[in-house]
Amino acid sequence: MQSKPVALKILDIISILVLGIAAYLALVIAPTELVMGDVQRVFYFHVGTAWTALLGFIFSAVLSVIYLVTKDLKWDRIQVAAIEVSLVFFLITIVLGSIWARPAWNTWWTWDPRLTTAAITELIYVAYFMLRQGIDDPDRRARFGAVYALLGGISAPITFFAIRLFRTIHPVVIGGSNMEAEGSFSMTPDMLSVFFFALFAFTIIFIDLFWNRIRLGNLQEQVEQLKLKVVG
Amino acid sequence: MFFQEPTPDTSGYMIAGYVVAFVVMAVYVASLYLRNRNLNRDLAMLEEMDKSVIKVEPEQLKKKPVKSVTKPRRKNSLNGK
Amino acid sequence: MPLAAQAPPTPSFLQAILAIVWKDLRAEFRSFELVSSMLVFSLLVILIFNFALELDIKTRQTVTAGVLWSTFAFAGTLGLNRSMSIEKDRGCLDGLLLAPVDRSAIYFGKFISNLAFMLLVEAFVLPIYSLLYNTNLFQPGLLVVILLGSIGYTAVGTLLAAMSVQTRTRDVLLPILLFPVAFSVLLAAVKASGGFLSNSELTEILLPINLLIAYDVIFIAVAFMVFDIVVEE
Repeated sequence: MQSKPVALKILDIISILVLGIAAYLALVIAPTELVMGDVQRVFYFHVGTAWTALLGFIFSAVLSVIYLVTKDLKWDRIQVAAIEVSLVFFLITIVLGSIWARPAWNTWWTWDPRLTTAAITELIYVAYFMLRQGIDDPDRRARFGAVYALLGGISAPITFFAIRLFRTIHPVVIGGSNMEAEGSFSMTPDMLSVFFFALFAFTIIFIDLFWNRIRLGNLQEQVEQLKLKVVG
Repeated sequence: MFFQEPTPDTSGYMIAGYVVAFVVMAVYVASLYLRNRNLNRDLAMLEEMDKSVIKVEPEQLKKKPVKSVTKPRRKNSLNGK
Repeated sequence: MPLAAQAPPTPSFLQAILAIVWKDLRAEFRSFELVSSMLVFSLLVILIFNFALELDIKTRQTVTAGVLWSTFAFAGTLGLNRSMSIEKDRGCLDGLLLAPVDRSAIYFGKFISNLAFMLLVEAFVLPIYSLLYNTNLFQPGLLVVILLGSIGYTAVGTLLAAMSVQTRTRDVLLPILLFPVAFSVLLAAVKASGGFLSNSELTEILLPINLLIAYDVIFIAVAFMVFDIVVEE
């Protein structure tokens, strides 16, 4: 296997740096929110991971189409990488959301539609891996994975909009008429800049992990091919 | 404004949140690293086997521990279908 | 004139669909194995809910929609699994694939027959539930919602069942695949059903109903386009 390209090595370092800076900004520089205190700071990481994960899921639906059209297994490997990293990020989103919820709404979890949708979306992509787990033929595995990721990618926003139509106690921080939702707060300019930096940071980290994961997939493929040749 | 409660101390939750975020990411990076290392080992082993396939030495094959994660399910003769 | 004139005429799309539906219905009427197991299962689920939820009169009103749809979802999974397994085990699926019909006709045929079975079971469950709990479930609005919800559920379910039956984990996998994707159908169906049962304003109920219709249209379209890929060898 070729050694890591220099660009990736640099990206690794940048990712760590950027993560550190984002954490510092969020923990130290950002002002303390008045009503709920320090716990609000998790919001920067919560939204950072949420945004990138959701974009990752949408991207994976696009990858489905590309694979189904080109039938090139390379796209399947890229899709697996996208979904895996998004899954990890979204897990962070959900857990952080729960931790934020506890002091803000006095409960670890609520079956509020948006949280429920998040859980459902996460389960869709866990199911994706369970589906792949049960198939040995790489072509069929790729095909089925693509179809399911496509279905999941379509149903997730539908679920989200279904939810938006029904009442929610989830704070609508960015655009939304229900500012009475508990836990809402308006962001000061300082908060906004930290917020945007966190978004940027997580995008970088996502791309870094994503690229690394793709290389892992390629290595896996190489090993499989060699195994077939030597042992099979 | 004079009757506003003081800002509650929720820093415990904040710390919990950040710890979770970092731990999950660290675990994932570790898993990437470990999988990478295992695959590289498998690759090295397979490449050696590939080279020595002409002069097969049974002792050499027996010595190598088979630690690969993937199961050899590719053989069509073993699978039912 | 070429010898091709001797080949039997290729069935039209509609003919193919009807043939598949008729085949499934006839097979079912002979043995009733599918519908009977779905029905018995539904009744057992309702019984379990009775113990689990203590359905006194007050709770019943708020919970009926949920109980009904949970029951339908579980029974539906049973039916979908069985229907596809039968197809695969008896080699019917391969036979159908060899036939000179458009693959999507196979999808629609299976979709309609699965839907028919689900509706049949629901038709039995509704009166039984009404009797057991003294609620009148035969409101036209509710029936429409049940139809729309079943359509959406079966549309996705048929496609996913076709996939899951080809994996190692088979039956177990279908609910894992289906429930997250069908979640919005079930959500909208429960909201709409609940609305009708509690005699809410029609304007409130229209929202989830519109969602149901949108979902049905989108997913039938997607499933029909993608079914080909799922059954090809």
